Amino acid sequence: MTGFVVRRTLSMLVTFIVVSIVIFLMMHSIPGGPFDGYEMPLPDNVKARLMATLGLDKPLWEQYLRYMWGVVRFDFGVPFQSPGETVMGLIAHAWVPSLTLGGLGILLGAPIGILLGMAAALRRNSIIDYIASAIATLGLTVPVFIISTGLILVFAVWLHWTPASGWGEPRRWILPILAYAAVPMATYARYTRAAMLDALNKPFVTVLRAKGLTERKIIFQHVLRNAAIPLVTIFPAMFVGIATGSIFVEAMFRVPGLGAYFVSSIDKRDYPLEMALMLLISALYSISYLVADILYAILNPRIRVDGNSR
Amino acid sequence: MTELANSAAPILAKPDAVRQRSPLYFAWRRFAANRGAFGAGIVLLIIVLMAIFAPFITSTGPNEQAFLTSALTFPSGAHWFGIDDLGRDFFARIVYGSRVSLGIGFSAAVFSLLVGLPLGALAGYLGGKFDWVVLRIIELFSVVPPLLAALLLATVTHGGVWAIILIASLFGWRDVCLLVRAQVKSFREKEFIMSAQALGASPWHIIWRHLIPNSVSPIIVGFVLAIPLAMMLEASLSFLGIGVQPPTPSWGQMINVGMNFMFYYWHMAVFPTAALALTILAASLLGDGLRDALDPTLKGR
Repeated sequence: MTGFVVRRTLSMLVTFIVVSIVIFLMMHSIPGGPFDGYEMPLPDNVKARLMATLGLDKPLWEQYLRYMWGVVRFDFGVPFQSPGETVMGLIAHAWVPSLTLGGLGILLGAPIGILLGMAAALRRNSIIDYIASAIATLGLTVPVFIISTGLILVFAVWLHWTPASGWGEPRRWILPILAYAAVPMATYARYTRAAMLDALNKPFVTVLRAKGLTERKIIFQHVLRNAAIPLVTIFPAMFVGIATGSIFVEAMFRVPGLGAYFVSSIDKRDYPLEMALMLLISALYSISYLVADILYAILNPRIRVDGNSR
Repeated sequence: MTELANSAAPILAKPDAVRQRSPLYFAWRRFAANRGAFGAGIVLLIIVLMAIFAPFITSTGPNEQAFLTSALTFPSGAHWFGIDDLGRDFFARIVYGSRVSLGIGFSAAVFSLLVGLPLGALAGYLGGKFDWVVLRIIELFSVVPPLLAALLLATVTHGGVWAIILIASLFGWRDVCLLVRAQVKSFREKEFIMSAQALGASPWHIIWRHLIPNSVSPIIVGFVLAIPLAMMLEASLSFLGIGVQPPTPSWGQMINVGMNFMFYYWHMAVFPTAALALTILAASLLGDGLRDALDPTLKGR
């Protein structure tokens, strides 16, 4: 088990380093340097000295190593859009609304999705099965910003039940949370249905039925427990889906979270912030896959034998 | 003994009398039985026809500011979807928008196939080092969330139709590659491949004549499922303003503009949203249906 964890962690680290190099090179491939503006042309010697003080005259590999040395100590530099603070400070306060929304979205979406998936699996080919499949397909294929537009149109523009956007009093949280909840709900509905059906068709269920157990006991004590393995393991991935989804939800509802900053960093070509967010989210992404793998190995001893098959 | 030989002949002849059905026939039967996927296919066909015959459907071009004096008019008999903020017929823009969306989806799927098919087939057949390298590259792509990487790439390239097609294929090929690889790998050990090898057939010949024809199902599935993914990516990037640049009509971009007018001029947001949702939904339902029909073992993957 320890060997498995160590092997997965090392392979994750290597992949992450390669990804960071790719991101770094891509950021550098953008044409134009920081002092190439034609509004205020600088004499060449001044420019050279500026570049030297900022370390921009060094070879690319040295610049990369310097940057990564900063990253390890959580120093991502200064964002262009607000030079008064650090990228890390900005992320630290933008993190709160994102996490609040994402957390509440999962808390709302996942249980509903699980219930829908269970109902769909137990009443196969019934109305509820079709409704659950429709919701799952809709939530998984239609981009979040379309769902958001639909929610705003119906609840804010036509019904006037909620404010359309903003952040502050909890009344404004309703629509973004609903938009966030769509993806976890759809994912859990689909996976729960598949996992339940898989478990229901196993021979042990027939044995339990033959033993004369009540259907309720079979489902809640045996089937659900077996179906829970894939459900636990997709949870970390879900968390990351929220991180990506937040970009659009926060842009739509004008929530001052990480996603909104990501969009504005693209808009304003704020490269330090953009790069920091990219690196953080990739790190989060690979860590959650690692956690998912380890959880899976703990819950399902069969796959521990060969760590690299996935 | 003679009696036995006599009776054996008609028994041996019998299989010819029963009509042989190809696997594709059964796949078609399974697909037609799936009402959701079948309906989605028809909807998508209508949208494709709409994109091809766009000039015959609307008399005004998508970029003609022919109705500037009546900008932002609500839908009416003359202008089914109303007029947008710049005096363009909104129906024409939605119809022509289908060309962008479908065109990008289709081209990206073609590129994904061009890259994923040979890599997947070679990785599956050769195994060993080559397979290891391909798998590591795929792993690299699965560390970065596709949407984020696409955002970054789009910023670097400043968007545009071709940039988006390339970005979408960059993240579309691995699914095709994995599907083909799995299929080829399972066929590699079959007897007919071994006999081909024993006869001295080159790897190229075996892959081209034996393994790829046997991988038609995953190839079709991978191709069709790549289309909605690329369309979603295009819409998302255009929505953020770094995708297809105006005035080329793109639904994602129209939603972005429509958001600003939504509170009064609802038609600016409703029609592109509905068009995009309908197309992506139809394309993915069709892909799922084809997957279930062509290869029932892949179901729920």
